[in-house]
Amino acid sequence: MKAGRVNRRQFLAAGAAGLGWPRHGAAAGRPVFEEIPPETSGIRWVHDNAASAAHYLPETMGPGCAFLDYDNDGWVDIYLVNSGPCDFYQPKTPIRNALYKNNRDGTFTDVTEAAGVAGGSFGMGVAAADYDNDGFPDLFVTAYGRPILYHNNGNGTFTDVSEKAGLGAKVFAGHWTTSAVWFDFDNDGRLDLFVCSFVDYGTDSHFSCGDNKLGRKFYCIPRVFKPTASLLFHNNGDGTFTEASRGTDIEKALGKGLGVVATDINNDGRMDLFVANDTVQNFLFVNRGPDAKGRTKWEEMALAAEVGFSEDGRARSGMGVDAADFDGDGWQDLFVANVDQEMFSLYKNNKNESFRDVAFKNQVSQATRLLSGWGLRFFDYDNDGAIDLFLANGHPDDMIDNYSQAVKYKEPLLLFHQENGQLRHVSGESGPVFAKTFPARGLAIGDFNNDGRIDVLVGNNGGAPVLLRNMSGNNLGNPGGAGNHWLGVKLQGIKCNRDAVGARLTWSAGGVKRARLKNNGGSYLSSHDMREVLGIGTAAKVDWLEIQWPQPSGRTERFTDLPADRYITITEGKGGFQ
Amino acid sequence: MGTNGLAYGLAAMMACATWAQQTGSQATVQATGEDLLRHAIQLHQAGDTEGAIREYRAYLKQAPRNVMARSNLGAALARSGHYEEAIVEYKQALEQDPGNLPVRVNLALAYYKTAELASAAEHLAAVVRQQPSNRQAVFLLADCDLRLGENKKVIELLSPLEKESPNDKALIYLLGTALIRDEQPARGQVLVDRILRDGDSAEARLLLGTTKMNAREFAEALVDLKKAAELNPQLPDVFSYYGLALMTTGDTPGAADAFHKELESNPNDFVANLQLGVLLKQDQRYDEARVSYERALRVRPGDPAVRYQLATLDLAVGDLAKACGQLERLTKEVPAFVEAHVSLATIYYRLKRKQDGDRERALVLKLNAAKQAEEPGAKAPGATAPGAKVPPAKVPPAKPPEGKVPEAKDR
Repeated sequence: MKAGRVNRRQFLAAGAAGLGWPRHGAAAGRPVFEEIPPETSGIRWVHDNAASAAHYLPETMGPGCAFLDYDNDGWVDIYLVNSGPCDFYQPKTPIRNALYKNNRDGTFTDVTEAAGVAGGSFGMGVAAADYDNDGFPDLFVTAYGRPILYHNNGNGTFTDVSEKAGLGAKVFAGHWTTSAVWFDFDNDGRLDLFVCSFVDYGTDSHFSCGDNKLGRKFYCIPRVFKPTASLLFHNNGDGTFTEASRGTDIEKALGKGLGVVATDINNDGRMDLFVANDTVQNFLFVNRGPDAKGRTKWEEMALAAEVGFSEDGRARSGMGVDAADFDGDGWQDLFVANVDQEMFSLYKNNKNESFRDVAFKNQVSQATRLLSGWGLRFFDYDNDGAIDLFLANGHPDDMIDNYSQAVKYKEPLLLFHQENGQLRHVSGESGPVFAKTFPARGLAIGDFNNDGRIDVLVGNNGGAPVLLRNMSGNNLGNPGGAGNHWLGVKLQGIKCNRDAVGARLTWSAGGVKRARLKNNGGSYLSSHDMREVLGIGTAAKVDWLEIQWPQPSGRTERFTDLPADRYITITEGKGGFQ
Repeated sequence: MGTNGLAYGLAAMMACATWAQQTGSQATVQATGEDLLRHAIQLHQAGDTEGAIREYRAYLKQAPRNVMARSNLGAALARSGHYEEAIVEYKQALEQDPGNLPVRVNLALAYYKTAELASAAEHLAAVVRQQPSNRQAVFLLADCDLRLGENKKVIELLSPLEKESPNDKALIYLLGTALIRDEQPARGQVLVDRILRDGDSAEARLLLGTTKMNAREFAEALVDLKKAAELNPQLPDVFSYYGLALMTTGDTPGAADAFHKELESNPNDFVANLQLGVLLKQDQRYDEARVSYERALRVRPGDPAVRYQLATLDLAVGDLAKACGQLERLTKEVPAFVEAHVSLATIYYRLKRKQDGDRERALVLKLNAAKQAEEPGAKAPGATAPGAKVPPAKVPPAKPPEGKVPEAKDR
């Protein structure tokens, strides 16, 4: 499908001047984020949640979404995951996932069929990364049913290589896969794959939950189902993968995984994993490096690190996660979103493999008490250099409105802005979209119009996705943003993994030094633009930028006097940037 | 029904607490002593309790073994609100005369007033054993047991009386409440229907609301409980349960307001104190939460749920040693208390006692695995159980079970 094109000049002009954008709602000036309607974007795909009277649990769990530059043209494209045929659902009309090519003018064209990425099972989420280091991002699509590994052929098409790669149906038998993340756990320069496994939902038939008196069914609380072990696959470097979790804490830790982020919580140069589990404790798998036999040792230590349970010792309904050094102290902090009344947690890193929940101090607890969170992301939306936070919410129970006064099925998006080292809830002053409610699930971030302001894509259960354009640099009177500069960086590994997951970026602009670890994963069922946008506030340039490439490279490169407000590509070992 | 009239005979029982008219002969005392006693009784009868207390005390210095005088002193102290001191006097009187049931009732009443319900129930049970037909003692005991969460004891106590007095509304209300809280909705509903026959009342609405809460029909429960509170804001427990319903349906500010209202008329209400403590703790108002928890603990001494909450408060403010001691005792007493093991493990890890932390962590894993194995979907993977009665939402139970704080609602 091709959208009605908007003239590129018109598009950019509109973006710059904000013409025709509503001024209603709580926002004093222009909205910080503005919804781009399908008729403008051309994204007319709608998620089919397969809703039924029987209320099968997979119906309420999707969908995920991704920003990825599948054709490597420098403009991020969009991938959306749909449900599909499975044991309890046979669609009356064919439904499929969707790949939308970025037309570079604010519109997108559906290229799914040509690309060959329509899916085929009951899809859940997606993780995009270049696992074979050929310069083109590949796709791993998780599912209730068979997940799919799509290899990017580099010519606009993909090939389903799941079986060939050793990631076929047999490997995932008994696993309902949700979020997945690409990262290089053994620092061999190739991206490995961690796949969250949700509950054992049965194979032939499914336990159902409901009210006999009223004859209504509900989505079961995942507590009633057996937990399962998530899966870690080692990238063999020849297009195949080998399960690497056997015998490790990853295999022993039975969970109900929904969200995962790969990060380095102890700054030891090895990527760790934080997994959000639903109704059982979260897991923090700390990477202890190779043992005597060369096998990576994983230590599950969420309880000791104080990120496994609530402060009342309870396992909560963890769904979305993320990691970032939000307070700029050089250590990765964590976030996990839960279901209503459980409170979300913002875990500050104590620098000793333990964390402290500072959600209340940062207005997060107060704002999320009645919400259920899924997709989320730490990012600097206004390029002032400090990390902010975006949350996508929605209650999993579509009947909740019938028995709750205050908790609703559709919930608002939330935006937090960092000020003086603390997050402040700014949804009410950030545009009309924050006054709306959605059955949100996945959330991905990416700069789809290359204006240096990171945009947001939200997957809605049983509805159309929401594409939000970031207007922060254009606004007057909104939180931050006006006049801030940026530098977009695409890292290309040579010896290390091509996407440079695990790289550390340190830069200085206007006398302020900042640093960032290139994590991967996070959010829920979703995958983000691989580029890093470095906010430099009012500085006119980046004085210097240092890249510490991940192992096995480990090389550090330093660049000086980098221009602001543009994207550059830095290739490992080339000594310059493009 | 008139819970005011019901009021478990409290006012009447308090009024007849003195022995001023029952001056039994006692050991010989000096004439001056007799004058003192006579004067004390006169003052007491005239309503000058402070004067009576002074005179009783003076007399008891001369005749410390006089049970009547000591009991009257207790009554005067109770009337002036000095329940703790009254308890001391009643206990001394009972040491002299253990079979004295009126004194025992008064002691129970003093305990009741100081929210030491377990002690009150213990003495009332002794009275009821000797005087099964003492309906005021029976009802007061039932009320104590109800507040202590001893629903089965209430059912056992009142069921035999139901046949004798099928129209006794106080009895029906107490028994119905116990049955509903004990999750015996069928029997409870019969009693609710009897109350409903007399038209709309706060008591009926409270019972209906409680029944619906137990059946997890929260929106409907909220309507009934709101109505009950409107009909009779003084009805014991009405705002507690209304608060629980509000909390369950997500209105936490409304819930806090309801708990405060309950506590205005009933400062020692267990549910209101515990739940308000939970809300205050969520808002990191730790000092206020502690006050609420301590009040709840006074009502139910030793209650594991409250003790756990107090320990987590200590943990939150960094008093690891105190929290550790509390949790070690608690996990010993209630070995299956998973949350307590989690918190204890956390403390051990913070204290760098890794081995102890690992031991607690292993217990947590074991207990959770056992709990998981009991879940219906886990027992029969792949099985179909259409319409199985699995709740759509886990909510605070109407009466918090021992050793467990009501859980936050999930889907």
